[in-house]
Amino acid sequence: MSDEELAKDLGPLAALTIGIGTMIGAGIFVLPGTAVARAGPLAAFTFVLGGVIALFTALSASELGTAMPKSGGAYFYVNRALGPMFGSVAGWANWLGLAFASAFYMYGFGEYVNALVGLGSVGLGPVSLEAAQVIGLAGALLFIAVNYFGAKETGGLQIVIVMSLLGILAVFTVVGLLNADMESLRPLAPPGTTSEVLPVTGIIFVSYLGFVQITSVAEEIKNPGRNLPLAVLGSVVIVTVVYALFLVVLLAAVPNELVANNETAVVDAARLLFGNYEVFGYSLGAVGAGMLLLGGLLATASSANASILSSSRINFAMGREKIVTPKLNEIHKRFGTPYKSIALTGALILVFLVAGGVESLSTMGSVLHLIVYGLLNLALIVMRESGVEGYDPDFEVPFYPAVPIIGTVSSFALIVYIEPTIILISFGLVAFAVLWYLLYARGKVESRGVLGTWILDRSDELPKAAVSAATSVQPSGDDYRVMVPLANPATEEHLITLASAIAKQRNGTVVAVNIANVPDQTSLEAARDRGAHEAAHDLLDRARDDAETFGVDVETHVVLSHRVFEEVFDAARTYGADLTVMGWGEDSHGAPGRAETAVDELAHSLPSDFLVFRDRGFDPSRILVPTAGGPASDLSGAVAKMLQTEFDGEVTLLHVADDEAAGRRFLTEWAAEHDLADATMRIESGDVEAAIDRAARDATMLIIGATQKGLLSRLFRGSVVLQVLEDVECSVLLAEKRDNRSIRARLFGSGTRANAPSGSDDSDGPTADTDATLEPSTPPVEGGETDN
Amino acid sequence: MNSNDVFSALKRDYKLFCCPSDAERTFLTDEDMSARMTRTDQPDERDLLDHVLLPVAHEADALATARVLEPYDPEQVTALHVVEKGGGVPDKTPVEQSEELAADSYAAVRTVFPDADDHTAYDRDIVGAIFDAVDEVGASAIAYRSRDGNRLMQFLSGDLSIKLVTRSHVPVIALPREGATE
Repeated sequence: MSDEELAKDLGPLAALTIGIGTMIGAGIFVLPGTAVARAGPLAAFTFVLGGVIALFTALSASELGTAMPKSGGAYFYVNRALGPMFGSVAGWANWLGLAFASAFYMYGFGEYVNALVGLGSVGLGPVSLEAAQVIGLAGALLFIAVNYFGAKETGGLQIVIVMSLLGILAVFTVVGLLNADMESLRPLAPPGTTSEVLPVTGIIFVSYLGFVQITSVAEEIKNPGRNLPLAVLGSVVIVTVVYALFLVVLLAAVPNELVANNETAVVDAARLLFGNYEVFGYSLGAVGAGMLLLGGLLATASSANASILSSSRINFAMGREKIVTPKLNEIHKRFGTPYKSIALTGALILVFLVAGGVESLSTMGSVLHLIVYGLLNLALIVMRESGVEGYDPDFEVPFYPAVPIIGTVSSFALIVYIEPTIILISFGLVAFAVLWYLLYARGKVESRGVLGTWILDRSDELPKAAVSAATSVQPSGDDYRVMVPLANPATEEHLITLASAIAKQRNGTVVAVNIANVPDQTSLEAARDRGAHEAAHDLLDRARDDAETFGVDVETHVVLSHRVFEEVFDAARTYGADLTVMGWGEDSHGAPGRAETAVDELAHSLPSDFLVFRDRGFDPSRILVPTAGGPASDLSGAVAKMLQTEFDGEVTLLHVADDEAAGRRFLTEWAAEHDLADATMRIESGDVEAAIDRAARDATMLIIGATQKGLLSRLFRGSVVLQVLEDVECSVLLAEKRDNRSIRARLFGSGTRANAPSGSDDSDGPTADTDATLEPSTPPVEGGETDN
Repeated sequence: MNSNDVFSALKRDYKLFCCPSDAERTFLTDEDMSARMTRTDQPDERDLLDHVLLPVAHEADALATARVLEPYDPEQVTALHVVEKGGGVPDKTPVEQSEELAADSYAAVRTVFPDADDHTAYDRDIVGAIFDAVDEVGASAIAYRSRDGNRLMQFLSGDLSIKLVTRSHVPVIALPREGATE
């Protein structure tokens, strides 16, 4: 596509500088003081260790980035692979992690500016702020404004900034080398420092945040298959080498005491080192210090600027999947920027800056990103193992699965060594993200993750607990999902047509499921090996084609099962169906005559609305809807309305009442409520079944609702529910509403069913039938029909 | 005042309009001039509203712009959305979102001009992209609606009016703002 090509304007160098520019931030300029104080000369090693851990994740990020060049980067991959619950965790962690990191960059920025002007701490009412914090706040406001107004930074400028940064660090390193005294590196590990290595690595890891941000703009990179891995891996390697050399030289060339606990240590070091030289009698000390000061300012500014922009990308991706409200990503009419997202992130940065110190801000940034990186590596494993269609990365991680496993373990393991309070706060945020998903986002998110689908597709082989857990956290979003269990090729077309028409009206998705019967003697695994899946695909392909003629989204699944009929209910639950459209006829779904109580159990707690279609030809031109009101008739009314709109059919409403005027009044009102005011009204008196039978002679389709639970269970067991349904010549649609189980019940298993009438629900066998009544309300059903 | 009079006057003066004055010539770089030379292959007698290029920024802007153009009954309309590229740095908005914005804008234009074409350009230089689009679609004029707001807002949001009217090689029609005072 030429349009896609036009949108790509980041070359390899630009992509590389995005990574380097974001990574080289306050970390290397501010943290050597802390690192050296705690780990001595091993501080250099902590930077290398951080780089190595980052490299594993960078490999995984490169593969995922080339496979899915989508806005949102790390968050997007985790969401896609592990599902929206982990997506919520990754999104929030990435977003807040960037805000913490930005606050840290701005703190560093403040330190550096203050090294120039030298202010004391400032009391602002009850809070006393360090000078660096005050300057940092001003700096943060500046960069928030730059992003809010969308001021243009040229690509050329960014390359110049990054090159000057690298140049400054290189000059420092060379000058340092000339003055290095390897003796000051000894003892390499003074007593008590080795145990500090991992905790310090946790703190300085903030210096490696940024390489994943490259994947977040993957859709803007030219030739991403090549340039994206190059930029991601290249920036990590370059930055690691630069940090390591810089630290070694710093430690070797100046006394450790000068560096330890000095937040602008590198400036003082430069003053000392460059002071050894003079030009025309002037000492170069000030020049060196000035250079490093400038470097610190450029580094912190570019990192903060890039992080604010990245966080708006994460917001965009989270909004796209409805984990946060898409309103957050509205574009400013004048500035063309996602101003709400930037303002919110900006507010977070300011709050964090006031609340935290250098170490806590950097560590929070590190921990939250380590969580994201750990999940990102897991996402790679899931994408590979699930063999999901369309996953075709240009770059593949070498030594799979060792690399992503080490990446996961090392990222999570590093968290352990971080200060307990920080871990506690981070896990509080993770818990918040999970609750956020369950309580807010779950009802809005539509797409599920690869992992969830993988588990649910194998619901028969995996431990019940895993399947149940996976089911409980599946998104229940506002996508209206119409599931069609298919078994019989002869009825496929009509069922799919019906389902598609409804899905189209609701702007929803058709989920065609072929439940293939596997004899008890054959294990599901063996059936899978024998290609039972392939056999089912013909039917599903036809279903897909039929549904696509309506222009609705289609999903197809094959489920292998020993219990075809029961599987319909499981599948409705598994695939998050809002409505299940199934056929009903002689033996359509292996009617399970033998296990009455099981069927009652199933059909008494319907996981979705059900439409059961008795196929005598699909012709919705003249639809008959008998009604006696009540909530259950809403479904039959709604279905009639949808079919009327889609196929331009005529609807006739039938009400049986002895008082004609009252009946007409009722029906007119009911019709208005269900948006069917243009329907023909038919009021009859006398026997309900006879009235339906008479009216059905003019109709092509009869839609009838169940007022009470249990109608379907009787139907499926083969009981005669209503003779008229057998007698009429037109097709019949039987509608029964879902059982409204509470969120609690859905989360914690099937213990309680809120809607089930107590008493009758628990009774077994034929007595349960008595609560099955049909509309119109006169119950024509006799209890205790014999089962076939 | 009847605005149709203004347009017929404009149409009459079309030739004058498209030739740069000496004063303006000094603003033009050699590149602009050579570009202009190659672009003068349009027929001499061309109606101003033959094919109007309508640069639009977002849905509301697109709708308002199309509505004020509607009374003049242009022959053909092409809606243009320029996705502002970073040119070496990440864009202000994700490409996906920018393209959604473009699609929404075109849909808004089509509520007024159902047959309108659309054209999406990707460029850092928005005005340059508009001029390129004129040639690509063969437009006879550019019609745009200037943004309101004081100078500071115009500066912050990068108002492009001056660049657009001074450098164009086809007529530029400044559409009136709704509710603008005389």
